[in-house]
Amino acid sequence: MSASIDYKHLIQADKVHGSMYTDEAIYEEELEAIFYSSWVYIGHESEIKKAGDFVARDIGRSAVIMVRDKDSTVNVLVNRCSHRGNNLCNEMDGNKRNFSCLYHGWVFGLNGDLLDVPYPDGFTKDKKDHGLQKLVTDSYRGFVFAHFKEPKVSFDDYLGNGKKLIDRACNLSPEGEVDLTGGWVRQKFDANWKMLPENDTDGYHVNYVHQSFVQVIPSQYNEFVGGEDTNKGVIRDWGNGHTEIDFAAGYVNTLDWLGSTVEKSKSYVEKMHAAYGEEEGDRRMFDGPPHSCIFPNLFLAEMNIVIFQPTSVNSCVQWSTPMFLKGVPELNFKLLRQSEGALGPAAFLLADDATIAERAQKSLQAGTPWCDLSRGMDREIVREDGVKESRMSDETSNRGFWHHYRSVMLGEK
Amino acid sequence: MSKQVAFEVTRELEAFVIQEAKYADEGQYQAWYDLWAEDAVYWVPLKDGDDPAHKASHLYDNYSRLTTRIKQLNTGNRFSQVPISGMRRVISNYEFFSDTDDKFRVEANFYLPEYSIQSTHSFRIWSGRYTYVVSRKGDSFQIHSKKIVLVNAEEPISTLSFLI
Repeated sequence: MSASIDYKHLIQADKVHGSMYTDEAIYEEELEAIFYSSWVYIGHESEIKKAGDFVARDIGRSAVIMVRDKDSTVNVLVNRCSHRGNNLCNEMDGNKRNFSCLYHGWVFGLNGDLLDVPYPDGFTKDKKDHGLQKLVTDSYRGFVFAHFKEPKVSFDDYLGNGKKLIDRACNLSPEGEVDLTGGWVRQKFDANWKMLPENDTDGYHVNYVHQSFVQVIPSQYNEFVGGEDTNKGVIRDWGNGHTEIDFAAGYVNTLDWLGSTVEKSKSYVEKMHAAYGEEEGDRRMFDGPPHSCIFPNLFLAEMNIVIFQPTSVNSCVQWSTPMFLKGVPELNFKLLRQSEGALGPAAFLLADDATIAERAQKSLQAGTPWCDLSRGMDREIVREDGVKESRMSDETSNRGFWHHYRSVMLGEK
Repeated sequence: MSKQVAFEVTRELEAFVIQEAKYADEGQYQAWYDLWAEDAVYWVPLKDGDDPAHKASHLYDNYSRLTTRIKQLNTGNRFSQVPISGMRRVISNYEFFSDTDDKFRVEANFYLPEYSIQSTHSFRIWSGRYTYVVSRKGDSFQIHSKKIVLVNAEEPISTLSFLI
């Protein structure tokens, strides 16, 4: 990293400098350090069930393709012809036997190998050296992550406690798997990408930004109305930049998180009991899904999966899709409508978050020097396993994000 | 097969659509809401032809959710529309159909520059195809469905908390 940016000064335990959201040079460095030199979330195996199925994703400025190979392995390939750089695949998803370039007809296999060069006599180099750039990939319970370089940190060490958060999501399915086939809604924010993970595990803003939501829709957020003492939710810094708002302690009845009841969701309840026994099934259905960010770009957003995509220092895109539970398709209609209601450009919640983020982005350009993140520093607790916890309205999660961000930018992680 | 819609009726239908657009442009939420029938579907799909039972949409409101949407806007605290975006949409290229005895289908193109006065203070361009299904109600019409297929529906889009 460049010596000219003093991350130790700009990111302190209790505050971050406004330039962290607006400085072009910092943005360039974080693309390199976080998105091209660390593990990033790509997609889910359920999106590419059959050989040849693919989805297109954007990681920073790099377009990639996640594709199911003939031997059923999952490959993540850079979506750029190795010949003259043309974008190979312009569709967002589909099925292909191979990828062929429109420019000069070079053909690549599902594993990225260069298979065919038209008029081969003139091209004497070894085709083996001219495949598509292939990312290092690994996955946990179907969640596929990748790395553009040779990882210095193992996938297990990177994901850390993130596994428990992914478990909590998958454990709501009687088959232990989620299914992400509901389609991706993409919302543009004229704001720096870091405002998304920050805001998504910020339990402090709800009663202000979302007061119109709280006024008209009953939900777990209503607890905020009485002030922070009535709110039982817990904020957590799981380490490695993974953060959470845990709503479970605030739920009153089983399936509150689904906006449903045991009586209304009989078939789901029966399937969960059959799969895990009554006690364990009930526990899972009471606690509900995670509301957790996995650093840097995955948000387990209760019954939605969200991806953060930086597009410039002043803009980003949020991808969202409903998290279907394998084995319970009868819930899908409800989950689709809940997803549209909470996330996405017309949603009762996210539309207002976007506006606040955009206003902050605009005002930070003027040089507001510091953003304070000290709330709850003196009352958070550190558990035996190192996980930090505090009241839902405390900024423990945001400090956790920035602490990890700083160590990555300083090359320590 | 669609039956031909009489010229006088097309003038009435066009006037109704213009009225609806004016209520939306001006944030006259209650007047806009009163145009809807109880089997309402207000829908911005990700892709024309998507089945909303299987695919997410940018927006898919039935009457109950439409009611909530209007209530939320009427709180005065729906910050993504405080103040309301500057809007004057242009609707053109109308086509009129009569698919059933009691319902009319109106399709039209629209062009909507939205001035985002509450956030970035910049113009955002929205464009696409409207499909209305309406029926007679008193001396006017009521809306059963309004589908809005954006020309860039499959791309990332900005906040859409105004009435499109």
